[in-house]
Amino acid sequence: MYVTHLNLRDFRNYERLDLTLEPGATLLYGPNAAGKTTVLEAIYFLATTRSPRAGADRELVRFEAQGDIGVPPFARLVCDVARAEGRVRLEVVVQRRAEEEASGSAVQTIKTVRVDRKAVRALDLVGHLRVVLFTPADVALVTGAPAERRRYLDVTLSQLEGRYVRTLAHYQKVVQQRNSLLRAWREGRRPLRSADDELAFWDRELAMAGAYILHERLRAVADLNALVGPIYGRVTSSDVALMTRYQSSVAGFGPEADTQAIERAFLEHLARQRDDEIGRGQTLVGPHRDDLLISAGTIAIGTYGSRGQQRSATLALKLGEAELMRARAGDAPVLLLDDLLSELDAERRGHLLDVLERPDQQTLVTATGTEEFEAGFLRRARRWRVEHGRLYPS
Amino acid sequence: MVGSMHTANETQILTEPVARLIEEFSRLPGIGPKTASRLTFFMLRAPDEAARSLAEALIALKQQVHFCARCYFIAQGELCVVCTSPARDQRLICVVEEPLDVVAIERTGVFRGLYHVLHGRIAPLEGMNREDIYFDELLDRVRTEPVEEVILATNPNLEGEATAFHLQRALAPLGVRITRLARGLPTGGDLEWADPGTLSSALEGRREL
Ligand SMILES: [Zn+2]
Repeated sequence: MYVTHLNLRDFRNYERLDLTLEPGATLLYGPNAAGKTTVLEAIYFLATTRSPRAGADRELVRFEAQGDIGVPPFARLVCDVARAEGRVRLEVVVQRRAEEEASGSAVQTIKTVRVDRKAVRALDLVGHLRVVLFTPADVALVTGAPAERRRYLDVTLSQLEGRYVRTLAHYQKVVQQRNSLLRAWREGRRPLRSADDELAFWDRELAMAGAYILHERLRAVADLNALVGPIYGRVTSSDVALMTRYQSSVAGFGPEADTQAIERAFLEHLARQRDDEIGRGQTLVGPHRDDLLISAGTIAIGTYGSRGQQRSATLALKLGEAELMRARAGDAPVLLLDDLLSELDAERRGHLLDVLERPDQQTLVTATGTEEFEAGFLRRARRWRVEHGRLYPS
Repeated sequence: MVGSMHTANETQILTEPVARLIEEFSRLPGIGPKTASRLTFFMLRAPDEAARSLAEALIALKQQVHFCARCYFIAQGELCVVCTSPARDQRLICVVEEPLDVVAIERTGVFRGLYHVLHGRIAPLEGMNREDIYFDELLDRVRTEPVEEVILATNPNLEGEATAFHLQRALAPLGVRITRLARGLPTGGDLEWADPGTLSSALEGRREL
């Protein structure tokens, strides 16, 4: 699949952007803070309704944006996507809430989402455009906290399965409600004798949604292992096997475990953990506590791997993600490579660029300059120079 | 929030009645200080009659309307219009979260039984538990009234489902038929906003739990 058109209004430092895109590689280059990454961010946002950058959604709206008369300032993002299953237009409007309405509220923006001009819930946008974003910060996937690896699996699966997005949102709400009950017991604000009765509903929902999420993650990890191993071998020119293993807080499951079996184990484990959960005031069992263990040969690469091995593993995981999407959806995802090539040595860069040369692959690459690219790539790529929130063909 | 939002000095400039009305308005849900000031000055400029009429409407609301002693829907007497109607089927109770849900169901014209308004739903995150809504009052009604069927018409979202789950558990030992609105209502939505057609088919297609 590929994005044919991107239109921005008052998004970050772009007052207006109207960009026609083609399949193949597109290079955006220019000084830092010129707005190269913002183009990738916009496409990622249209795919996932989230920004990959930390910070409040309020900041997505250009600081000087005026909005229309009587309407608080807003950012609008629109893109057209050509896909195997037909064309689609995606639109997200992020509006700052009026000062007085927003005061004291955690919700500072209102998001309106449309698919082919029809308003839908934000969740229902996800999956229409599939992207894989790869930035230098992604090495945290290997070296960082378990939350990074859960997010990696969630972002991938959410784009592949509408049910996954909805179940994950449901699961997160259940965890929050359940945690506030557990906290009330821990702090002695509720009588403990009714705990089993009051938890029954939340346990059931947690186990039902959690079992589906676990099952999907286990299946994805099994598929990823088959893809990631060979990629890592090629990238490092070695026969060391890169392996990922899903570590569940519920129990050890193989990829063959069915959802009913997982759900039963989940409920049993919850019952065993009850006192602990009340003592800590939080839900200790479930996919929100899990991890993905990554090893090369026999070593845990996040802790004991060299910097080079960690980079290679990250590259393999990201390319594996793209391969998984291509295999499952029958359509290549759009690759967004942010300021990456400077981080990779010539050999790893070569492997990455090989992938970009596939005929059905659309890739957007950002860099500070053109020097680090070989002449052949530059000739084939469409090039844009980015300065102060404007794009100039080059 | 407690305490005055204006400094003593500001109150002096605004005059006490203006500062007080701004403060009263800003207690209302969804009204910030800016809107409260705008409303106050609007009332100040409006004819005396408009202000009096608003004040009277507020007093009448609190003097003449309260919640029905039986079903907790709004009522002018001790009991609401539904509870006092002889045409209503006393064997059927439809349980809803809010008074406006009753209005939505009445609009369909297909339901001929009684209601029970919980005034909330089970949502621990919002500090709402069984004892914070008219939950046990429903059980008392089922024990003492000639009820044969209870329809659980809480919203089709997570908290509405939690409430229905606990109601079902508590009602089951009382030997009454328990039903839930048919699926088909937009998931995650509110009953209050469902259109009459969807709502009446959800009522007619209700299933036994
Ligand atoms: Zn009544």
